[in-house]
Amino acid sequence: MSKEEVIDYKKTKKRLDGRKMDEIRPLSIKVGVIPNADGSAYLEWGQNKVYAAVYGPREALPKHTQNPYKAVIKAVYRMASFSVPDRKRPGPNRRDHEISKVLSEALEKVVFVNQFPNTEIAVMVEVADSNAGSRVACLTAAACALADAGIPMRDLVSAVGVGKAFNEIVLDLNKDEEDAPDAVDVPLAIMPTTGEIVLLQMDGLLTRKEWDAVAALGIKGCQQVYEVQKKALTERFTVEELNKKAVEKAVGVEKNTKKEVVLEKKVDKVDKKEKESKTEKKGKDSKSKKVRK
Amino acid sequence: MSKKIVVPGELISEERKRLGSNVFVANGKIYAKVLGVSDVSKDQASVVPLEGKYLPKPDDVVIGVVTRVVFAGYGINLNASVDSFIPTKAIRDQLRVGDLVLAKVESVDELKEANLIFPRRLIGGEVFEVVPVRSPRLIGKNGSMLEILKKGTGCELIVGKNGRVWARNGNIESLKKVIAFIEENAYKNNLTNAIQDFFGVTLEEKFPYNQQRNNRVEESEVIEEESEVIDYSNVGELNE
Amino acid sequence: MRSTVLEYDISKVIELARVGKRVDGRALDEMRDFTITLNKFENAEGSAIVQLGETQVISGIKMLVDKPYPDNPNEGAISVGAELLPLAHGDYEYGPPSMDEIEVARVVDRGLRESKAIDFTKLCIKEGEAAFVAFFDFYAVNSDGNLFDAGSIAGIASFLNAKIPKLDEENRIVKQEYAGKIELKRIPLLTTFVKVGGRILVDPTYIEEKAAEARFSVATTDDGFMSAMQKGVGGSFTLEEVNYMIDTGFKVANETRKKLLKMVGKK
Repeated sequence: MSKEEVIDYKKTKKRLDGRKMDEIRPLSIKVGVIPNADGSAYLEWGQNKVYAAVYGPREALPKHTQNPYKAVIKAVYRMASFSVPDRKRPGPNRRDHEISKVLSEALEKVVFVNQFPNTEIAVMVEVADSNAGSRVACLTAAACALADAGIPMRDLVSAVGVGKAFNEIVLDLNKDEEDAPDAVDVPLAIMPTTGEIVLLQMDGLLTRKEWDAVAALGIKGCQQVYEVQKKALTERFTVEELNKKAVEKAVGVEKNTKKEVVLEKKVDKVDKKEKESKTEKKGKDSKSKKVRK
Repeated sequence: MSKKIVVPGELISEERKRLGSNVFVANGKIYAKVLGVSDVSKDQASVVPLEGKYLPKPDDVVIGVVTRVVFAGYGINLNASVDSFIPTKAIRDQLRVGDLVLAKVESVDELKEANLIFPRRLIGGEVFEVVPVRSPRLIGKNGSMLEILKKGTGCELIVGKNGRVWARNGNIESLKKVIAFIEENAYKNNLTNAIQDFFGVTLEEKFPYNQQRNNRVEESEVIEEESEVIDYSNVGELNE
Repeated sequence: MRSTVLEYDISKVIELARVGKRVDGRALDEMRDFTITLNKFENAEGSAIVQLGETQVISGIKMLVDKPYPDNPNEGAISVGAELLPLAHGDYEYGPPSMDEIEVARVVDRGLRESKAIDFTKLCIKEGEAAFVAFFDFYAVNSDGNLFDAGSIAGIASFLNAKIPKLDEENRIVKQEYAGKIELKRIPLLTTFVKVGGRILVDPTYIEEKAAEARFSVATTDDGFMSAMQKGVGGSFTLEEVNYMIDTGFKVANETRKKLLKMVGKK
């Protein structure tokens, strides 16, 4: 498109979609959306919409994939056929495989993998809709899904796309900006507490000086993403004081004048059984010891 | 004592303290390892997890399900990361796939596989599952919650540390609802008292928990230290 | 957390079915509630998220221009694909399409195609040279059984809202611009049954599918036709049972159709 060549963000001071240079697109995350999974998350980031699920730690199969010293993080990145402007053919392509690999490696650093030898932690992400930046969206969602699965981690992973478009350093490029003639795309992920970088890719032309600006802006962006992740993970839980009323509200009031009599009887029965069993205790203990040998 | 919902990697204390569970130290500071509730007191910092699979520990009482039958023994699913194994000669009953087995964890090997002892088959009754890391709340401090549930519903009840609850007889419908409530609210304060008041049951004087309450001592909500109180000799009776 | 199916659960399903009951308290001929979220995915020409009980399916349609088949030079075509994503259940794996995936895709496809709900001639752009192919793909995101009916609902919801892309002079698709909609002449819907403990259960959950001796799906339309049937799993049905399932299928699908049309804002 020829009209884009005359766009200059330095002059317009505003981006094509009206954002400021250091502004990310609207981001929302919901965790626990896939009940079957051990942990899961659904993320919307601008037009990007991705699902992430974690299964594991579980026994790694086939056996030769097991590592006796640590868990294997197996991230898989896939796109739905309707998630791109031209239909994506079913089955993974080279891009899917590469992204799966870099996601696995980014997540391996944060998980305490040596706690679960011989297991795999499967992290699956599915892109349902996309508009530039789907891999960082997936990584952000995957980190939430891992935390939701209760997996011991050093930190979360927060990711963002950063780079250059239309003569300006910009945060969270969209598709139009990725298609700019001078576009530079830098997917970046950090451990937000320490600032260490766990994913970094780049394509495009960048000067050494521009890189400094890109890195600084990217890390700032990741911190914004981290706040959203933290909120998504913790907002389901509120520490509060419970009382009888709260239980009644959830369970329903026990109207049990009649029941109580029945229950009392049963409790008696159990008590009796306990007494009886205690007398037999000695004999049974000796049996169990035999079993142990 | 401060409590907060924390995410993995979140700073919970800048001071040196004894390390409780689910925390790690970096640069002299203490951080959370899992999504959970931080519990920082004067001399200890720990995190009580909110989600997660079962991590076997010695002396845990667990309820397993037979997933595999081979000549040498049985594969047992414990909701853990790897299945356990019970040799044929360790158990009197012939087991079939799907049978429920009550057992105790003797030790855990370097691959996190639990070695089970005293296996017994559970007959009849019903099994429900809860998030394994939340199941200690069903037992409560010194078994107080377990006692309340037993008294309140009249059920024969066994809580496996691996998130499986087995119940027979009594008011199972009510038990199910209360267990779901406890699971959902496992991290909240005053849970045991709320459930006790709901059922309107009293515990025996000698029960240590009760003394605490009478003395108006706040019940500690730290659940990692709680021990299982199941009279093991009773299990044979339950099977009959 | 609940993705390990235990033999224990299966025997309970069978036990209850024998006395005419189900684990979730549903009647034997009762569908689970469902919700539809329309056109969430903007890259698709039409899309739907369907939640049927705990089963969750995402689906979308992409329209491409292709040369018509030589034997039907004035017709477009549809194609249906299904993936049981490993996100959706601990039992699923990545890899080439499994037999289950192919079966569910083909049954949903036949229900739609054979009902003649879509007029393929309307998808033709220029006879013998160019026609639209509508690719409908659905993905299980969480699986609690009956992906047949969930896929079928997702298909109808997606097609009812699918837009036809605008073309330039050389019959190439102009992105983000549309010219017209796909019209459905009738609304075929699948209804799936399983036989458990000698009883017929509609809309099976994952565990009920595991407990099933046999499975049967029938696609029925609002104007009294059946457009596809499929019997699956090792067991068998008597003719009486099949007739019962067809009759119940019409009844259940009518209910589902009413709810569906209301949800997608038609009628």
